[in-house]
Amino acid sequence: MAIAKAERLMNLALCLMNTRRPLSKKELRESVEAYREAWQNSSEDAFNRMFERDKDDLRELGLVIDVDENTLDGELGYLARADRNRLPEIALDAEEAAALTLAARVWQQAKMSGAASGALQKLRAAGVPFAEAESRTALEPRIPAREAAFEPLLTAARDRRPVTFDYRKAGAAAVEQRSVEPWALECWRGHWYLAGWDRDRGDARVFRLSRITGKVRAKSGAFLGTVPEHVDVRATVAKFAGEGATATATVRVRRGAGFPLRTKALSSAQVDEAWDELEIPYGNGLGADLAEFGPDVVVLGPEELRADVIDRLRAVAGLGVVTEGVRA
Amino acid sequence: MSNAIDQTRRMLSLVTYLRERPGAEVAEVARAFGITERELIGDLNVLPMCGTSFRGGDLLDIDTDGERIWWHNVDDVAQPLRLAADEATALLVAARAVAGLPGLRAGDREALTRAVAKIENAAGESAEGSARVGVTFEAESHVFADIDRALSEGRRLWLRYYSHGRGGMTEREVDPIRLLTEGHTYLEAWCRTSEDHRMFRLDRVAEIRVLDVPADPPRREPRDLSGGLVNPSADDPEVVVEVSSGGRWVAEYYTHDRAEELPDGGLRITLRSADPSQLRPLALRLGRDGRIVSPPELAEQARAAAREALAAYGEGRD
Repeated sequence: MAIAKAERLMNLALCLMNTRRPLSKKELRESVEAYREAWQNSSEDAFNRMFERDKDDLRELGLVIDVDENTLDGELGYLARADRNRLPEIALDAEEAAALTLAARVWQQAKMSGAASGALQKLRAAGVPFAEAESRTALEPRIPAREAAFEPLLTAARDRRPVTFDYRKAGAAAVEQRSVEPWALECWRGHWYLAGWDRDRGDARVFRLSRITGKVRAKSGAFLGTVPEHVDVRATVAKFAGEGATATATVRVRRGAGFPLRTKALSSAQVDEAWDELEIPYGNGLGADLAEFGPDVVVLGPEELRADVIDRLRAVAGLGVVTEGVRA
Repeated sequence: MSNAIDQTRRMLSLVTYLRERPGAEVAEVARAFGITERELIGDLNVLPMCGTSFRGGDLLDIDTDGERIWWHNVDDVAQPLRLAADEATALLVAARAVAGLPGLRAGDREALTRAVAKIENAAGESAEGSARVGVTFEAESHVFADIDRALSEGRRLWLRYYSHGRGGMTEREVDPIRLLTEGHTYLEAWCRTSEDHRMFRLDRVAEIRVLDVPADPPRREPRDLSGGLVNPSADDPEVVVEVSSGGRWVAEYYTHDRAEELPDGGLRITLRSADPSQLRPLALRLGRDGRIVSPPELAEQARAAAREALAAYGEGRD
């Protein structure tokens, strides 16, 4: 049976951490049994590929592996210096440790949750006093990341690698390939968004991860533009979702109905036994929001909003489009 | 079963941990690392196959009798390791998001804020990437204190709750189970009124009272929420919606069984609902971007509602 990958990685890590001088590939091949097997049973190439992959994996796990010239024979060698790999002193009290334990559980995505518990394991090994994790608060926050694009974009943003992906804009019939320098990811209302520089459009853009279809491909080369110090994905998305509106609309709402409209109303007055009149913020998407309430809401103004809602209702009622006063 | 990366990550910490604790108990170590005893024994079977130098012949002499773990040739190699970029990002993003969560107890928030500063400091440049990821939970805290009290005291709650499906207010008595936040915050509770398990979105709670009655939710396994917080059951009736490209958002917001591509960028979406008439708001919202294919009663309810609404505008006839 082939030697398990975890055992191989562990052997390589221990070798690299326990040496004072750089170890050549040949030395590593001879000291890690799995490499010796790969070399003897298949080829130099097979060993090389395996070694390169393992080295990348260990670096992903946080190991700093230096490549230096070996003073003995001038060959290139590898080592993980103790001073470069040591966790600095960290003094967390029991309360702080407990709070972190709860926070580390929020990731609902395999890679992030693995990384978060890995961080706790390192802290615990370093002597942080993690007590039995008891639930201190009844609140369970969860960060989902079901979108397949999440992981590759996170890595690309970290490594500042440009990417391409197929994207279907909201409401667009066709997908389009986009070429993007990914800056930042933001989760808002349970959905993930990416902000970045759109190379073809020559402008900053925000993408919703659930609208990325197919694979995210990392491109070679570096970013062409500079990454802004502060990227406010949330403000852009919230504006699109109709928040932060400065205009207002006037609607009539049936008594006892339309609770979400009442909570955001700027003013409210009783009209008669059955109806109240509300002034509400008029942002993007309000027409669709109001149509949901059906006969419980009547739009008084502005006229374009009233026409939008009427048009939506006519569609659902199975009636034609109103065009310039003539009914189709 | 964990993958090789997570296992290696864990074993690297494990050797550091064991070094400081000769004769550590298997059960306690497994708990500390958040793994099963079986997984830990798996790790302990791998470690003695690992050598600590390139010269070979000096394998880690770690063994266990199934209850305690002994390491006979403790080595300097087991120093605490720095945090990887992904580890620092995962921990810091989560901690910052939770620290900003409305409704978190003040003491927890302060402890978390202090911890974040210390982790940032210890992680050094590994922490840089965490600035590139942000998570915001919604602020819906006006009823939080009462729910928190009901949960900690084990008491029943009375709610005046907005039913999105019916468009009106309902009054219910519920036995709270837990609070979940995923975008919005939800109260998971046993609803005494409908005798069913329900999720109540906190921003739809109009009024709340903690009752002088002990809560008594039926005991059952925590539900599997990996597909999302609001999950219909497999035997709920099917609803089929056809949308044009402008209505593709339906597939993003509604948990569904199937979404088949249609010509011109549309979708045919099959979802489930315990009570399809509760989807009337969706049917009305779709406008020209889609239509309810089935059940026909739902399509008819939406049509009737739209006609009634149009009457108020002096519309509704061709």
